[in-house]
Amino acid sequence: MKIRTRLTWWYAGILVVSLLVMGVGTFQEISEQLRHDHRNRPEGHALDEAGEMIFQVGLPAVILGLIGGWWLTRRALTPVSKLTDAVEKIHEKNLGEKIPRTNNGDELDRLTEVFNTMTARLDNSFQRVREFTLHASHELKTPLTILCGEIETALRDESLSQSERERLLSQLDEVRRLSKIVDGLTLLAKADAGQIALKPEPLPFDELARDNFADLQILAEPQGIKVELEFCEEISVRGDRHRLRQLLLNLADNAVIYNQPHGRVTMSLRRAENLAEFKIANTGTGIPPEILPRVFDRFFRGDPAHESTIDGCGLGLSIAQWIVSAHNGTIQIESVPSEITIVTVRLPLEKTAANTA
Amino acid sequence: MRVLVVEDEKKTASFVRKALQAESFAVDVVANGTDALFAAASTPFDAIILDIMLPGRDGLSVLRQLRERKNSTPVLLLSARGEVNERVEGLNAGADDYLPKPFELAELVARVRALTRRGGESKSSVLSVADLKLDTVTHKAQRSGKEIELTMREYRLLEFLMRSAGRPCGRMMILEKVWDYNFDPGTNLVDVYIRRLREKIDADFEPKLLQTVRGSGYVLREVP
Repeated sequence: MKIRTRLTWWYAGILVVSLLVMGVGTFQEISEQLRHDHRNRPEGHALDEAGEMIFQVGLPAVILGLIGGWWLTRRALTPVSKLTDAVEKIHEKNLGEKIPRTNNGDELDRLTEVFNTMTARLDNSFQRVREFTLHASHELKTPLTILCGEIETALRDESLSQSERERLLSQLDEVRRLSKIVDGLTLLAKADAGQIALKPEPLPFDELARDNFADLQILAEPQGIKVELEFCEEISVRGDRHRLRQLLLNLADNAVIYNQPHGRVTMSLRRAENLAEFKIANTGTGIPPEILPRVFDRFFRGDPAHESTIDGCGLGLSIAQWIVSAHNGTIQIESVPSEITIVTVRLPLEKTAANTA
Repeated sequence: MRVLVVEDEKKTASFVRKALQAESFAVDVVANGTDALFAAASTPFDAIILDIMLPGRDGLSVLRQLRERKNSTPVLLLSARGEVNERVEGLNAGADDYLPKPFELAELVARVRALTRRGGESKSSVLSVADLKLDTVTHKAQRSGKEIELTMREYRLLEFLMRSAGRPCGRMMILEKVWDYNFDPGTNLVDVYIRRLREKIDADFEPKLLQTVRGSGYVLREVP
C-alpha cells in the first residue's frame, strides 16, 4: 500500500472517531438542554437532532477534511515520487548526472543532496576502475610487443634445435593469446569509458549475413559441421560496418568452436515487427541453465574442462554484447543442453522506403 | 634499401633493427620526433617506421610536418592505442600503413617490404607465379594450363598473395586486405582459407608455391 493511501486511511479514521466524539458530545448536550427545558419531551428527539447535526454539518466537514487530507498528502509526497523517478533512472552509465535540487532546504532537498554526493562518490570509483583497466591494458602493450619481437628474433636463429624451436613457438602462441586478451580488454575498457565512436551508416544486413555465412562455411568445413542459411530477408539496419561484421564473425566462430564434430549450424535473418532478427543455432553441448545468465560476463568460463581445449580470449561474448547494445539492440542466448543453442540478435531497422513497405 | 625507425622504446627499436637488417635493409634508429625530421631531411629513406607515442613531438605531428615539406617517403605508423579512429587519422595525415601494438615482427617486416616495393606492381592484367596464372579481369586462375575454380574470397586471397609474390604476408595483413577486417577476429579464418587454396592450386602440382612462413604468415613463391 502506498504511503499516500495509508495516510489518507489513517486520517479518515481519525476524522470518523472525532465525528463520533462530536456526535456523542452533541447528543449529551442536546438531551441535557431538552431535559432542562421540557421535562415531558421524549429522549428520542435528542438523538434525532444530534444525528441531524452530525449528518448536516459533521459529515460534509469530514468529507471536506478527507479531500483536503488527500490533497495535502499528495502535495507532501510529490517531491518524494519525483525523487524516486529520478533515482530510478540512475544506472552505471549516468552516475555523473545530478538529480535537480529544490534548494529550499527542507528534508527532501537534503536527501537529494546526500544522494547526489553518494552517486558522485560511486561515479568516481567506477571511473577509477575503468581508468585502471584502460591504463593497465595500455601498459601491457609495450612489454608484449617486446616479448613477441624478442621471441620472433630468437626464432630466426638457424642453429636452434627442433625442441628449442618448438618451445619458442609455444611461447609465441601464448604471447599472441595474451595480446588478444589485452586487445579485448582495451576495447571493452574504452567502450565502458564511452571512448569508442561508432560510425553508423545504412547497411544491407542481409549482405553482411551472407558474407558471414561464406566465412562460416569455411570455418565449419574442417570439423565436418553442416551449415545452413535458412532464411535471409533483405533488411537494412543502421550501424557500424566493422563492428557488425566483428559481431557476426564472432557468433559464427563460436557456433563452430562450441559445436561437436559433424554437428550443424543454422543461420537466419528475418524481419520481426520493426526489428531485424538474426539467429544462429548450433548443436553443441549447450549451456546449462544455471550458468546461462553469466555467459556475457567478462572472462566467464562455464565449463572448466573447456578452458584447456578451446582457444579464446574469454571476452568474445562480452564484446558481442557491447556491439549489440551500442546499436540499441538486444542479444539473447537460449540453450537446451546437448541439443541446441540459439543466439538471437535483434537490431532496430533502418528507416527506409524498402523497410517500411 | 634504407629504413628509418623512429621509436623511443629501446628494446623494440633494437629487435626491429635486427629483423630489418636480417632482410638486408640498412636501418637508422632515432628516438624522438625532432631527430626524425632532421634525419629525414638529410638522408633519403625508402621507408619510415614511425611510432605515434613519442616523447615531445608525437608521431602524427612528425608525419604532418614531413608531408608539408613535400617528403613522400612511405610511412608505417605504429601505435599502442590501436583505435580505428586513430588509424583513419593516421592515414589521412599521409601515412601509408598502420600497425597496432603489440605487433608481430614478421608482420612488420612484410609491411615494410610491401611499402618499399610500392609502385613497382605489374601493370599487366594477368598475374603469374611459376606456372600459376591469374587473370584479374575475368577472375580466372589456371595452373599448368588447367583451369582452377575459385570463389570470390579465394580469388581475392590469391590475387593478394600473387601481387605480393615472394614477400611473406602476415595474417593481420591478409585479414586487412582480403577481408577488410581492421580488427583481429581471433579466428583461424585465414589458415582455413589458405588450406583450401592450397588444395586447389598446389595439391596436384609441383613445386608447391604457397608456403607457410614459420612464426606467422604465408608466402607465394617459386623457390623454397
